[in-house]
Amino acid sequence: MTWETVIGLEVHVQLSTKTKLFSGASTTFGSEPNTQVDLIDLGLPGVLPVANKEAFYKAIRFGLATNAEINQVSMFDRKNYFYPDLPKGYQITQMEKPIVGTGSILINVDGAEKLINITRAHLEEDAGKSIHDLFDGETGVDLNRAGTPLLEIVSEPEISNAKEAVAYFKAIHQLVTFLDICDGNMAQGSMRCDVNVSVKKIDDKALGTRAEIKNINSFKFIERAINFEVARQIKRLEKGESIIQETRLYDSIKNETRSMRSKEAANDYRYFPEPDLLPVVISDKELEEIRITLPELPKQKEIRFIEEHSLEESEAKILASSKAMANLFEDASTKTKDSNLIAKWLVGDVSALLNKENISIEESNLSSVNFAKLIERISDKTISGKIAKSVLEEIWVSGNDVDLIIQEKGLVQIQDESILEDIAKKIIEANPDQVNAYKGGKEKLFGFFVGQVMKETQGKANPQGVNEVLKKLLDT
Amino acid sequence: MDKETVATISYLSRLAFDKQNEEKITRDLENIIKFVDQLDSIDTSDIEPLKSPLEKTAKTREDKISAQNRKEQFLKNAPDANDDYFLVPRVVE
Amino acid sequence: MSIQFKTIKELSSMLQSKEVSNYELLQETFKLVKSYKHLNAFITLNEENALKKARNLDNNTSDLSLSGIPIAQKDLFVTKGLRTTCGSNMLSNFIPPYSATVIENLENAGCISIGKTNMDEFAMGSSNETSFYGNVNNPWGENLVPGGSSGGSAAVVAAGIVPAATGTDTGGSIRQPASLCGITGIKPTYGRISRWGMIAFASSLDQAGPMARTAEDCAILMNEMCSHDNKDTTSLDETIPDFTKDLDAPVKGLKIGIVKEFDLSKLDSNVVKVFEDSKKHYESLGVDFVEVSLPNINLSVPTYYVVAPAECSSNLSRFDGVKFGKRCNDPKDLEDLYIRSRSEGFGEEVKRRILIGSYVLSAGFYDAYYKKAQQVRRLIKNDFDNAFKHVDLIMSPTTRGTAFEAGSMSDPIQMYLEDLFTVPANLAGLPGISIPSGYLDSKPLGIQLIGNSLQESQLLNVAHNFQMTSDWHLRTPPTRSK
Repeated sequence: MTWETVIGLEVHVQLSTKTKLFSGASTTFGSEPNTQVDLIDLGLPGVLPVANKEAFYKAIRFGLATNAEINQVSMFDRKNYFYPDLPKGYQITQMEKPIVGTGSILINVDGAEKLINITRAHLEEDAGKSIHDLFDGETGVDLNRAGTPLLEIVSEPEISNAKEAVAYFKAIHQLVTFLDICDGNMAQGSMRCDVNVSVKKIDDKALGTRAEIKNINSFKFIERAINFEVARQIKRLEKGESIIQETRLYDSIKNETRSMRSKEAANDYRYFPEPDLLPVVISDKELEEIRITLPELPKQKEIRFIEEHSLEESEAKILASSKAMANLFEDASTKTKDSNLIAKWLVGDVSALLNKENISIEESNLSSVNFAKLIERISDKTISGKIAKSVLEEIWVSGNDVDLIIQEKGLVQIQDESILEDIAKKIIEANPDQVNAYKGGKEKLFGFFVGQVMKETQGKANPQGVNEVLKKLLDT
Repeated sequence: MDKETVATISYLSRLAFDKQNEEKITRDLENIIKFVDQLDSIDTSDIEPLKSPLEKTAKTREDKISAQNRKEQFLKNAPDANDDYFLVPRVVE
Repeated sequence: MSIQFKTIKELSSMLQSKEVSNYELLQETFKLVKSYKHLNAFITLNEENALKKARNLDNNTSDLSLSGIPIAQKDLFVTKGLRTTCGSNMLSNFIPPYSATVIENLENAGCISIGKTNMDEFAMGSSNETSFYGNVNNPWGENLVPGGSSGGSAAVVAAGIVPAATGTDTGGSIRQPASLCGITGIKPTYGRISRWGMIAFASSLDQAGPMARTAEDCAILMNEMCSHDNKDTTSLDETIPDFTKDLDAPVKGLKIGIVKEFDLSKLDSNVVKVFEDSKKHYESLGVDFVEVSLPNINLSVPTYYVVAPAECSSNLSRFDGVKFGKRCNDPKDLEDLYIRSRSEGFGEEVKRRILIGSYVLSAGFYDAYYKKAQQVRRLIKNDFDNAFKHVDLIMSPTTRGTAFEAGSMSDPIQMYLEDLFTVPANLAGLPGISIPSGYLDSKPLGIQLIGNSLQESQLLNVAHNFQMTSDWHLRTPPTRSK
């Protein structure tokens, strides 16, 4: 009774334009509610939409980077339904002729590469936000987000498990941030996805009924939601029950998917061509211009890092894989000379911390200025590499300035030769047996003395200096 | 036009009718649909639908902020709002 | 000195020669408004502001083309700070935070908006009997309809209260009331006048236009109303000519088409006689009449009654009681809020059209109705394109008859057929004008001229010639002030 899973993802990417898709209101995140709402966004009687050219350019970049067909003549349609955060009672979207047609993207799962085909990517306007739990018996509506441009990317149902789904979502995330079309900040809702999941017996030709899990905005939750849903569906089918085609929500606290069961599911969206917007045409010249000015993609960056900074291939790959990482690397490289040290720390300690919490650099407390300073303090020997690790952990938690942390915790490395010599002499005098054993040939005991000096200095002694001083005192 | 269809499209349009008017509306709709069914009399198999009388394409705008903050004005004129949000009865998802 | 029934040209002249001051003109205008209260032509008046503006003009002369001219604005155009209802209960408390481009254009040219005229609710109707604010009465007769949806605008011009008013035309709502009220009204080519600030009924059909006593006044207004507006991507970028320039050009040699498929034998013989007399009149001016065939034109009304309701059902979804407009009392949940606010806020005709619209767009019916209608629409447009290869203009009656009694047309479909002659121009996006051409039982009747795309100048020229050689447009209704 072997089951296989069929998954398709619809990723909604908020395009990083300054203004909305159809109005000149700002798209800045986190502003006071209802302060970024134009007459057009409110849907007042008599208003008309005017398309933002930049949104098209960003969408096209995505299309070019996924080797997709670009529809130079794109049209809009209305999707009609009622909801408080949908001011016009319809969403302007692209149903019939999306700006980007079929393309594909390479994903990487545990070292293996797989090509996932993308059916289409189209432009549409985002809705506002409904806030249900703040007001006594009422729902509050904030229309700041209403009208923000979204690129909805629809994959073919070629994803076979949760890991692949996460890899796909990560690949899209990487691509859209590299292309500079989305800030990739998932905590702020810049990227969300709907997951369509169905299962079928391996030898069945027909696909199973699918359920749609809506609005997931983290890599972690995608994996958990899919795993739960697959198990749920298999359990039902094995019992002989059927799967209802419906919309579900993922509850991250209970780790389960729940049926939305609202009448929305029975909605007929009555799509028809948007009469207020004539077709938007992107000229051959514009298309060429976008092609030429396409930002550097991960592969190109990787090659450049190897050439310009003499990095190892494995290091370059990791640094080039995330725009934030790459930016952090390049930024820090301008502030301090030791690129290799920077790379080592990013690939090592910083990546480890990111992976542990499964967050991205933008979500962390590590700023490029602070990181560069940390590396500099290692380079100039203010602190040792070991101490630097604890400083990094402190920055991770508090986001405080490197120098402040070093000062407050008294972590400045002891480099003064005379101080080190005094401490070393003290240790040597206190441990005559070990001294004799060392001088007698037990060379490994050198480490004991180093350790004692370190202990005495709470790890602040400069390791190289300690070695030199001990060698001087013991080897004479 | 059966009762169910009228009920469905009424709901889609968020309109409701009392018993009396329900019958009249159903009759009106039936008559209007019958009237527009005349369109069937002609073959349009290869005709491209006319979406707008204008044979032109749209102008677009630059990505520059041009809207002003009208929060106070909008909320003041809303049927129900507090200082920050438009308010509706609690929606249960 | 009476200002009643004066044209824009005449009033401008009176103001310039200081025969009347701006303030006096507006004072007299409002006196007329009050004495014609029984027409119920206004929903909201702008008296205080208007008088203030007039007072300012007296203190600071201006050389704007329409300086000091009082104008009535159809309550479908949003006016900043001045209540705009669109003839509906839904917007009975709506004060717009901005003004329509058309309003701004006219006011920038010096016009003084004296108030918002009554209209069929959300522009849906052909008799001004669907307004929440009551019927408008035709100045030509007790209990007669003025036509719709721009009934209020037509009535105030016909009664000589103002020289001009703005109207909107989606299926004939400027031309039909112009015909029933004995005035001149033109619907320009789709896209000539910006739709920014026009409360949308059917987006691909709606167009604003002037309603006045003469073609010449319409031309003067067209010069100011037309503009390319970046806020409306459906607004044309074409050069706007001076519509008054070639008004007097002779019409000799022009070819006017008579549509074969508009079987006029089905009309009342008296109506046909008025039409034939108009033809003869034009022939005497040197015009040649040619028969043209527009084989699909009789499908215009059913096409219109699929396309327009579909677009309006979507356009009116924004009226949900959430952000503006009326909300029902004590909604118990969201669904209740939507359903009751909308059911209480909209009148019967509006609800009918929303339902039809939702139906023809719904899954399973879209292809058979909406898509089909848009295909037939293309055929109708093609028919016009072909006809205009052989003729310069097309002429027809504007309406099937004169103004009817209020309440006499209870069947929606019968009312829809009133739009028979006017709807085709909207479907094809072409300009059309209606001018007074005769009287039956002391009730006016108009003829319609339809032009090719962007040919408003020619329409106005042909209309003007008719008016220079006849006096139908000079007749006035009995001054039945209260």
